[in-house]
Amino acid sequence: MKYVIVGGGVAGTTAAEELRKLDSDGEIILISQEQHPLYSRVLLPHYLKGLVERERVFLKKESWYEEKNIEWLRGVEVVKCDTKNKFVELSDGRELPYDKLLIASGNEPRVVDGDVRGVSYLRSLDDADHLKQLLNERKKGDPAAVWGGGLIACEYLNLFVAHELPTTIALRGQHFWSKNLNEEAGEFLNEHLRQQGVKILTEQKFLGVEGEKELEGMKLENQKVECDILGIGIGVQSDLGWIKDAEIEVDRGVKVNEFLETNVEDVWAVGDVAEYFDVVANRHIMFGNWQKAMSQGRVVAKSMAGERSEYQQVPSYAMEILGLDITFVGDVELAAADKVLVRKGDEHGPTLMLMRDNKLVGAVVMGRNSDRVPLTKVIDQRTGDLAKVMNWQGIDQEILA
Amino acid sequence: MKITIKVDPELCIGAASCVTIAPETFQLNEENKAWVLDHGQSPEGNKYERVIEVSEEEKENILLGAQSCPTLAVFIYNEEGKQIFPEL
Repeated sequence: MKYVIVGGGVAGTTAAEELRKLDSDGEIILISQEQHPLYSRVLLPHYLKGLVERERVFLKKESWYEEKNIEWLRGVEVVKCDTKNKFVELSDGRELPYDKLLIASGNEPRVVDGDVRGVSYLRSLDDADHLKQLLNERKKGDPAAVWGGGLIACEYLNLFVAHELPTTIALRGQHFWSKNLNEEAGEFLNEHLRQQGVKILTEQKFLGVEGEKELEGMKLENQKVECDILGIGIGVQSDLGWIKDAEIEVDRGVKVNEFLETNVEDVWAVGDVAEYFDVVANRHIMFGNWQKAMSQGRVVAKSMAGERSEYQQVPSYAMEILGLDITFVGDVELAAADKVLVRKGDEHGPTLMLMRDNKLVGAVVMGRNSDRVPLTKVIDQRTGDLAKVMNWQGIDQEILA
Repeated sequence: MKITIKVDPELCIGAASCVTIAPETFQLNEENKAWVLDHGQSPEGNKYERVIEVSEEEKENILLGAQSCPTLAVFIYNEEGKQIFPEL
């Protein structure tokens, strides 16, 4: 049996590791765009803050692949796939036949025009090394800026504020996560950031960067923000071109069912690239997350080895932004909810509970961490029975989405 | 056998991977960090570190929980005090 896994991140590598446990003789080929052995992207902010040494971000040693008899092709990408004759073509021209194919190719940060020194992205270890270098060259009081309003933008705020760089953030909408936070939650977060000394510019349009070789500023529609370091955090996108050309169904990501199967036989997809059918949410969702990527890698390996297995788990994502904890649980897309209940924030932020067909499908918890576990349970049980876990006295608003 | 399980709250970010895989051993607290439990119980109160008696099967699952932590915040030591995860 010949297994080809496209993507050497946590989803693909976990799948390879599990496949080896289940099939000691099969040929396993892991195609990795990066040169590094598996490392934790989630540890990159810790590395940048100096909480862990660089060597601690690695989860596998270079020798691990050979020890497990996994053929590790690094520094190459898949450019074409033929699902009829069952082979993939690599960027170096090689053609690799497969019996079972797993797409775990992840995603890439969206980029802006203008490649001057001082502009930073934060996705890979190489990005983190570059950012560390930039931060080392800056001194307290140097102006910093961030463009974007998602997870990576938060990481930049944490880093820049910790380095005592006066920071301005420009957002396209009125607040962070416009698809997931309502106005109240968004404004609570904005106010929290302002109190931490961050300058927020909302409803902005990014026109480009200023500076010849070294960054001098960020151009917005009606103003210029002076800065000598700029973090870009405007989301991610997957390269779906070759997948689409192979007539594998894609929408926002590669569409898979609850068994992580694509529409094409012997082709599966997992991790950040997959738009998977979430049996709890009862619809296809995309939720980029370490735990999910790893679990899907583990589950899909079973299916690829012949034991068809369903993936089922309530996804969650926790982050801290300048001291405020924010957690996303389940299906947190406001547009897909038919009702949103809001538990008002006191000294904490609000808790949003996203309902669909009278069931709780997702929650956004800001600050009140004790809401996380009970709400996760209700989502997992696929009920709307909040009274069992919540004090209804604390829910002040009921809003139709 | 006895193993020591330790969560470093400085490294823990509340990803809850350990809680998902080994809920009898890890539980999220109000700080969004994981307490260490002894078979679902918290004798002598909440702790980030415990020595607990486990079966081979339980140990394997706790190790899986530790391995799944994206920030490697869970440390496991054997009876002799040797760190068995993360591998040094």
